[in-house]
Amino acid sequence: MKNLCSIKEGCESGNGHLQKPKKNTEGIDLLLNVLVSKLKEVLFAVLPITLIVLILNFTLTPLDTPLIIRFVIGSIFIIIGLSIFLFGVDIGITPIGQSMGSAIAKSNKIWIVVLAGLLLGFFISIAEPDLHILAGQVELVTAGLITKVSIVVVVSIGIGLLISTGLIRIVFNIPLYKLLTVLYLIIFGLALFTSPEFLAISFDASGATTGALTVPFILALAMGVSTLKKDSKASEKDSFGLVAIASAGAIIAVMIMNIISKTDKMSGSLEHATTSSSIIGPFIQKTPIIAFEIVVALLPILLAFLLFQKISLRMSKKAVMKILKGLIFTFIGLVLFLVGVNAGFMDVGTAVGYNIASLDNKAYVIIVAFVLGLVTILAEPAVYVLTHQIEDVTSGYVKRSIVMFSLSIGVGLAVLLSIIRVLIPELQLWHYLLPGYVIAIAMSYFVPKLFVGIAFDSGGVASGPMTATFILAFVQGAAEAIEGANVLVDGFGMIAMVAMTPLIALQVLGLVFKYKSKKEGLVDPADRRVREYGE
Amino acid sequence: MASNTEMPDFELVSVIVDFGLGSKVIQTAKKYGISGGTVLLGKGTIKNRLLELLAITDVRKEIVLMVSDQDTIRQALEGLDQKFKFSKPNHGIAFTTSVGHVIGARNCHSDQIKEGRGEDSMYHAITAIVEKGNAEYVIEAATEAGSKGGTIINARGSGIHETSKLFSMEIEPEKEIVMILSKKENTDAIVSAIRKKVKIDEPGNGIIFIQDVNKTYGLYE
Repeated sequence: MKNLCSIKEGCESGNGHLQKPKKNTEGIDLLLNVLVSKLKEVLFAVLPITLIVLILNFTLTPLDTPLIIRFVIGSIFIIIGLSIFLFGVDIGITPIGQSMGSAIAKSNKIWIVVLAGLLLGFFISIAEPDLHILAGQVELVTAGLITKVSIVVVVSIGIGLLISTGLIRIVFNIPLYKLLTVLYLIIFGLALFTSPEFLAISFDASGATTGALTVPFILALAMGVSTLKKDSKASEKDSFGLVAIASAGAIIAVMIMNIISKTDKMSGSLEHATTSSSIIGPFIQKTPIIAFEIVVALLPILLAFLLFQKISLRMSKKAVMKILKGLIFTFIGLVLFLVGVNAGFMDVGTAVGYNIASLDNKAYVIIVAFVLGLVTILAEPAVYVLTHQIEDVTSGYVKRSIVMFSLSIGVGLAVLLSIIRVLIPELQLWHYLLPGYVIAIAMSYFVPKLFVGIAFDSGGVASGPMTATFILAFVQGAAEAIEGANVLVDGFGMIAMVAMTPLIALQVLGLVFKYKSKKEGLVDPADRRVREYGE
Repeated sequence: MASNTEMPDFELVSVIVDFGLGSKVIQTAKKYGISGGTVLLGKGTIKNRLLELLAITDVRKEIVLMVSDQDTIRQALEGLDQKFKFSKPNHGIAFTTSVGHVIGARNCHSDQIKEGRGEDSMYHAITAIVEKGNAEYVIEAATEAGSKGGTIINARGSGIHETSKLFSMEIEPEKEIVMILSKKENTDAIVSAIRKKVKIDEPGNGIIFIQDVNKTYGLYE
């Protein structure tokens, strides 16, 4: 375009405002521009939850001063960490995933696709810190009948298998909704034989395995494979759905384990982290643990990248350096973020949940649950990566703000429903999950296919570190304060809800888009022909 | 500019702004009478040592393409400049190029391909903007009519028929832009093949515009 302009003689006459080449002094301006725009994005994400908690502190539930100070410090950690992390994902994780995805697809050999999917899925999942935490809890509550190692390995195998399946689906053009129907029918069948406690754990496992690192990587991988397609519509909708398929793998794996090992009864209880009164202590204490976890989680991605680079990618040295820098950003950002969440937010979540549920009027806890769900999801890192990718893939047709809005409402409702379940012991988790998934699957048959992929992916995306710590702590805190509620049973299952409601919320958005995008008063034969062709 | 009293001169205006402003540019332009626009995503690069060290060199940009007659464009650009302050650094840039022929936009009637001015150009650049998924058919038709190939760019955009809103946010459906370079003598055949294939002349099916190209390199005969 610019070349065109420079040869045409009259192009400056129209506006006369072509920019001069930038001078060095403007570099600082530019740097600020870039950083400020990212920071703005992140502030918009983190400030709402900070404000809500502060408001609660000054009205309904006064919290201990050290706790509130830690919360504020935690928020600052989260803001800085999230900004750096998002830069890191942009220049590190996403390029790795995309280039690997297209390298896999270009190989044009089905066994490479299968093998790469298996290995990548297995190693990424085995390195996921959230999965280890969940497995540790399961070992604890089953009194060692199911060991931590066995759960981690089985779930990782499940995810490996399903990532393979998901890649094959993209390559062979198998519609996502059909595959999801089959997968969820299997889950439904298995669920009949699974004990209620394990039902919750298995659905939680799906949330746990799709953490802040895995999601961006899997998303980019799917995009890398599907961008090679000639049919642009298929390429677009197949960019999504791989996360959803991977999470189904985790659910199926845990259910099968339960059925085989026949562990019906849960004994034991979760140990409760003692609330520290020190302000700085928790931050110092958490940092090395989290840093180590993230190193382990990043390792398979880094190794796979170096391997691919050696065999098939052969990027320039400069490009490799850029990606490595990106991984360093990802590391620093994620450590800061997680330290902020774990040291600053978790105890506050428990305290707020306990205090509000102790109030006589139970309406408060329900309203607060909804509002917290609404604002927490905004600060979830993977949500940013997903919405970013949606904008890229659809050239901005599906805007970030509107996806965020729907997700917010979905997660708000999920937390609200979870709290109602805590309040009413008769309500079982499957009372929610069964109708929820039936609706979600049924909708996938008539919602625009792009949105089916986005919706099912966002289920895995929504249940990230922020919900898994802060909201979980809130629900468990509330369960503690309410008589007859079981911290264990009610605590598990909350993540399952957060993973389910977005499926419906975003598919509803898809329907709205479908009806709104119709051209007014125009019958459009070419469009219809193409649509038939495309299905 | 060559003067032609019978037909208005058409121009293509390209605006490059930061990510997220594209829709606002179209909205503002529509107020000044431009019937629609198409947005594509791009990456701008920065020359700055510190940023290069940090490897933060890509900034997401949006490129807005709009076609209209000269007068409308002049007004619209003045309006846009007032609103977006292109004259200040880092506020985006805008430029126009002249367009020979427009098909598929009802308010931009032109009946024949205007002769190029200035140098004798051998080639035309044909740009077709169609619904997402239709680009394949455009390329198909063009190849049948003798084109050597084409480039598809993903985009979004809205014309006069697409004005539905979702919570005060305008929905801009996805589009595809197909760029084809053709020899002058082939242009007519290619364009009419595309016209027939995707029914461009029926409202709402997209637009085609043709520009003169002064020099080409790398075209394989």
